[in-house]
Amino acid sequence: MSAPMPSRSFLSSAWLVAWHDLRLNLRQKETLLWTFLMPALFFWFIGTVTSGFGGADAGPSIALRSGADAGFIEGELAARLTDGGATVVYPDDDPEGTAFEDYRRRIELPEHLTERVLSGESVALTFRRREAGLGASLDAFTVRRATYGVLADLITLAATGAEINAASMQALRTQERALKVEVSTAGNLERVPSGFQQAVPGTMVMFTLVVLLTSGASILIGERKSGALLRLAAAPIPRGSVVLGKWFGNLMLGGIQVSFAVLLGTFAFGVQWGPEPLALAAVLAAYAGMIAAIAILLGNLARSEGQAVGLAVVAGNVLGALGGCWWPIEVTPKAMQSLAMFLPTGWTMDALHRLMAFGQPAVSVVPHVAGMTLATLLCGWLAAKTFRFA
Amino acid sequence: MIEVEHLRKTFGANVAVDDVSFTARPGRVFGLLGPNGAGKSTTIGSLCGLVRPDGGSARLCGRDVTAGASAREGLGLVPQDLALYEELTAPENLRFFGAAQGLRGAELERRVAQVLARVGLADRAKEPVSRYSGGMKRRLNFACGVVHGPRVLLLDEPTVGIDPQSRVALLDLVREEAAVGSTVLYTTHYMEEAEALCDDLAIVDHGRVIASGTLDELRARVGERDLLHLDGTFDGDAVRAAFAALESLADVEVVGADAELVALAAPRANERLPELFAVVQGAGGTIRATTLRRPSLENLFIELTGREYRE
Repeated sequence: MSAPMPSRSFLSSAWLVAWHDLRLNLRQKETLLWTFLMPALFFWFIGTVTSGFGGADAGPSIALRSGADAGFIEGELAARLTDGGATVVYPDDDPEGTAFEDYRRRIELPEHLTERVLSGESVALTFRRREAGLGASLDAFTVRRATYGVLADLITLAATGAEINAASMQALRTQERALKVEVSTAGNLERVPSGFQQAVPGTMVMFTLVVLLTSGASILIGERKSGALLRLAAAPIPRGSVVLGKWFGNLMLGGIQVSFAVLLGTFAFGVQWGPEPLALAAVLAAYAGMIAAIAILLGNLARSEGQAVGLAVVAGNVLGALGGCWWPIEVTPKAMQSLAMFLPTGWTMDALHRLMAFGQPAVSVVPHVAGMTLATLLCGWLAAKTFRFA
Repeated sequence: MIEVEHLRKTFGANVAVDDVSFTARPGRVFGLLGPNGAGKSTTIGSLCGLVRPDGGSARLCGRDVTAGASAREGLGLVPQDLALYEELTAPENLRFFGAAQGLRGAELERRVAQVLARVGLADRAKEPVSRYSGGMKRRLNFACGVVHGPRVLLLDEPTVGIDPQSRVALLDLVREEAAVGSTVLYTTHYMEEAEALCDDLAIVDHGRVIASGTLDELRARVGERDLLHLDGTFDGDAVRAAFAALESLADVEVVGADAELVALAAPRANERLPELFAVVQGAGGTIRATTLRRPSLENLFIELTGREYRE
């Protein structure tokens, strides 16, 4: 028997519990697997298969098929399509390659196009596209602009009495125009992220959810089952310190996971995290804090480790899919985008897209951070209320 | 010192602890003895702040247990389950629980090394606990409860499921704690363990203390009477009446009598079996089996409750 030691302070006790939990978590093979290895594999796999997803970065490929003796107008049209951002391909020239009919965007030109146009005959150009929607409208616009550009230059040459041929058309096309319309977006260009720009943050958000929920809840349930929490109950540590320590231990694990994902994404997959690193850190910290609190709540409410892990995996997948972790939520219907804003994953992905892809300022994610902080406080309060040592 | 006065705790309609009072003194082992569900763990829970009593009071070294975390300074707990982190080594477990009790730095390391050697685990210090045998885990479970040198040590059935050799070793460790001046509260449902270890005892059943005192005082209550159990077919009232009518058997007490069992407490019952059998058979009883028990705490329990002691 010795003289009783002075009790630790509230925060010192919380730190003891937090540090212990973190060390315990990092000894679990499952935690290491799902914190470091599996996210890296998912980054690579999903990022690779969704590269070009949404088609925003690379120009759309348009297959061009011409009837016999199409003439120089065919070339002019192709040049203007290219200027408009499209990639023009000629499948008929490459019998080994993809067939013309297999392209999603196809233009067919009639026979003797140039000759018939110059003779004043009305001819039809056929543009086909597989899907409807905003992308189709943009493609139609690109084709119309190229077509009207050719027509306008033909009219210009005819009006000036110049000879109309390939050389004069090319000269006119490259000539400085007397009247130019400068077009710019009213705000920042919102380019929906794809490839690694979507896969890395999306996978990071989803895996952080799954890892924090499973490891946080499992440790708590295991400690309760073994009686380790009972021992803490008998120690001169306030109950609030234990709950705070549990939360902070989870938060630190989330911090490690997120930091690893950001570093790996940056150096291995070239992900650009945007010009607001502090705002990005605030979003990720608020998210990890909220999930850490939910993990304790889950550990209090679940009856067994199996139940907690099952719930965490289901929650991770459902919230990941609906919140825009698997694909950019911006490509989904409006109803889905609205639904995502009720989900923690949705708030986080929206905030990340604002900072990483849409060039929005840090202030634009203040509501997200504030909302998640409030949710953390609410879940933390509920976790403290429902916390039990045995 | 542990002072419990009129402690009461209910869970819904179930009265887990009903007006329990006892005092455990420094340097002695106080046994809380009773069958499963008697209220021992609820009493322990109240003492370590886990359960808030509905009535009465409990004080550890003079401090009310409901006064907050500071009331638990100097308290050690050895739970019934193996409250250990199996992924960690023994020193890591001890460091964590020692730190939770307020130990720090060199003092923490000194105490960890000391208690590790004391429970005979120093040579296995680098292995994770998951590789330990059941007995080794039990010893570590004990070590985690005493790493900080508690003034009050609560042990909640620490020998459940333990092999005989480890049990002996553990009981020695408990005695050592009392020998250095700690107040030890030891709950068990093993009668022989309580008799071997405890200086003072309270026997509890259905949440109530049904007997308390030193071991000698309780033994004296049993007296020198043997306990004789008769299994068979009986008319309980007739058996009671038969014994009551015989002055020559005035020292025989009918502890219990029903249609299947008659329990008798009698001095030197082993020498008087024919006489006792004759009375029971004369009252219309048919005896199929008999059990004779020597004076013990178990006999006392049966005498007090009229029931077999159930573990």
